[in-house]
Amino acid sequence: MVALGMILPFLHDFALAEPKRLTEDGILKRDPYFVDGGKGLIYGYDEQDDLVRVLRLDLETGKSEPFVPDVGDKHHIEPKLSPDGRFMSVTECTGNLTAKLVIRNLEERKDVYITHSGRGGTRSPVFTPDSKRVVYAFAETGPQQLWSVQVDGKEKKQLTQCEGVSNWPSFTPDGKRIVFSNSRENNYEIYSMSADGTDEKRLTENTIMDIRPVVSPDGSQIAFTSTRDGGYNVYVMKIDGTNVRALTAGLDRDDYPAWHPDGRHVVIVSEKGGRFDLYLHEMPPGAVNPDGKPLADTGS
Amino acid sequence: MIGVGDFKANDCNGLSRRSFLKTAAAVPFAMGAGLPSLLDVQAAQERGRAKSVILLWLWGGPSHIDTFDPKPDAPMDYRGPFGTIPTKIPGVHFTEMLPRLAQRNDKFSLIRSMVTTDGGHPGAGTIGVTGFKESPTVHPNFGSIIAKHRGNSGALPPFFYLGRGIPRDLPRRIEGYGGGTLGKAYDPFLVSCSQHGDVNIPTLKMLDGITPNRIQDRKKLLDQLDAAHRTLDGARIDDWEKTHQAAYGLLTDPKAKDAFDLTREKEKTRESYGQTAFGQSCLLARRLAQVGVPYIQVNWSEYVETFTPNGDWGWDTHIYNFELLQDRHCPILDRAFSALLDDLYDRGMMEDTLVVAMGEFGRTPKISKRAAREHHQHCYFSIWAGAGVQPGRTIGESDARAERPLTEPISPLMAGTTIAELCGVGAQQRAEMKVLDGGSVINELL
Repeated sequence: MVALGMILPFLHDFALAEPKRLTEDGILKRDPYFVDGGKGLIYGYDEQDDLVRVLRLDLETGKSEPFVPDVGDKHHIEPKLSPDGRFMSVTECTGNLTAKLVIRNLEERKDVYITHSGRGGTRSPVFTPDSKRVVYAFAETGPQQLWSVQVDGKEKKQLTQCEGVSNWPSFTPDGKRIVFSNSRENNYEIYSMSADGTDEKRLTENTIMDIRPVVSPDGSQIAFTSTRDGGYNVYVMKIDGTNVRALTAGLDRDDYPAWHPDGRHVVIVSEKGGRFDLYLHEMPPGAVNPDGKPLADTGS
Repeated sequence: MIGVGDFKANDCNGLSRRSFLKTAAAVPFAMGAGLPSLLDVQAAQERGRAKSVILLWLWGGPSHIDTFDPKPDAPMDYRGPFGTIPTKIPGVHFTEMLPRLAQRNDKFSLIRSMVTTDGGHPGAGTIGVTGFKESPTVHPNFGSIIAKHRGNSGALPPFFYLGRGIPRDLPRRIEGYGGGTLGKAYDPFLVSCSQHGDVNIPTLKMLDGITPNRIQDRKKLLDQLDAAHRTLDGARIDDWEKTHQAAYGLLTDPKAKDAFDLTREKEKTRESYGQTAFGQSCLLARRLAQVGVPYIQVNWSEYVETFTPNGDWGWDTHIYNFELLQDRHCPILDRAFSALLDDLYDRGMMEDTLVVAMGEFGRTPKISKRAAREHHQHCYFSIWAGAGVQPGRTIGESDARAERPLTEPISPLMAGTTIAELCGVGAQQRAEMKVLDGGSVINELL
């Protein structure tokens, strides 16, 4: 168990600059993801009490527009754009208690629905760095596993065969390894494995959730969410799981980290005063405290 | 902002007493309509300190094992992915998604041995708010009983539903939403509150054209109401009479109008509840309690289904159970419920305000093949605070897998009887109203 109130006060001002607030409506948000080389940001947004849809925020003009037009009454969450810009994916609520992964060929304007038997929902889709496949989480007959499918919907295959709940895959830039979370050790921990599902390594070890790992564009770091200090906060660690640093602190929720393509910024959905907005955090070049001394490893 | 129907507008402006009571409460009808004993009357008066009840109705069936009754030592296919955290009460743990409530469970008591008798939403929903099955007779909602006992509080109706609509699943709404055998006069008055704190009164949609900005003149309002009245057919006249009165009262009484105006709250207070429909509804509930409304039911959602087209994120997590609890439901509940408790304590309202949080059932401790959880009526939780409820207690215990209570099961009928008792509706009054027959008080709370 982790005692509450173990928030390390010196971490509060760890970021080099005050985070920049990108939205101001305070509406519940989720799943931010940079597109167009960092010029745009797509994210899920509670447009109504009964509708979550995806918006694209133009970071140059500050204007937002629907990223997936004509959604009707279907919730859309977890949007992604392929690295080559030719495909987008989203998790779409297609019926009662049912959600499917949709992969859209943007050039041909053609949608492919990735189906599994029965009810259920796909989770956390992510494109491979070569834009040829999408990896996602799904529970078909038991523990939730990671799956992989071609962008044309063919060659669907199960990547993992492990106990517990697996979720939130993220690729290293070379496409050789997948970082993800799994709950087999009584709570979500972060693991790394080869893209074919072999050579698994555990990167975190505590009694509290470590979720939504996202590999940095240069492959050297992982941003993730954890409740290890009481509330939902965002942390960064080296790709091997060492040198864990807190980007945020406190009980107000900070979640859904997403790397800017420049590798020096992370956008986070932060709840401040009960309002949810997107904040852009500048990453420090090294692990240092505000006083300039090296930051101690807070443990994995 | 207050809105009417589709319209919105800015608004500026030995034999212990306990054991005796348990016996008496359990057999009110066995006692018949006979005279209550002095002890009964005194006890009822002492217990009847709840001026208002706020029921947080967690519609859809929240997973008990993933929230307030975690089982970290259960097998992997039961315990789920969440870690646990200590609470203010030594030895009691919640899951990691409820850090604020974990720091406040010295302010409330938790029951871990709730049991109901129906595994479907409408049926269990009716049992959850009436104590009885839907057929052959629809019994009155707990709120309707309190409403009949207390009557109107000035211009304001005595029983409010805060939410988007009458709780339902996709096929139908619950039968036990309102007055039941007491009559439609004791149905709840529905008010919705958006994430921004905009208040709407959807039942007044028939009054299109009437907005708060246009009702400064009472005579004008009456004229408009009369005009609207003339457009109705006979079948809607009865509803109209009730709505007419409520509309007039709500829209012209300054106290009532103020109660709906969340902009009168300090920004910090509004923020503390969170910018969510549920959070702002909890704040509205506190304001209604503050002006003496006897019973306010805050509905988490209209629909049970958590992920369905046009669904409003109920607790029925047949899919995405773990994801939605951690992404949405628990953080929202943790913040809003904690703020409500703090607010009531800070204002000295806890002495005479009863707060209850519960759903219609729990969820299967065994994880489904879809990595989620199904309906489970055999064990779930409820939370109680204020109005004489002893805080900091954990009542009842579930087995090692949270499948069944190890202790005496506690039913929705007992919950309703306890609510009634704390509102001063003692055994005699219940017998006279012919409600909550056979119900007993949850003495461990008191």
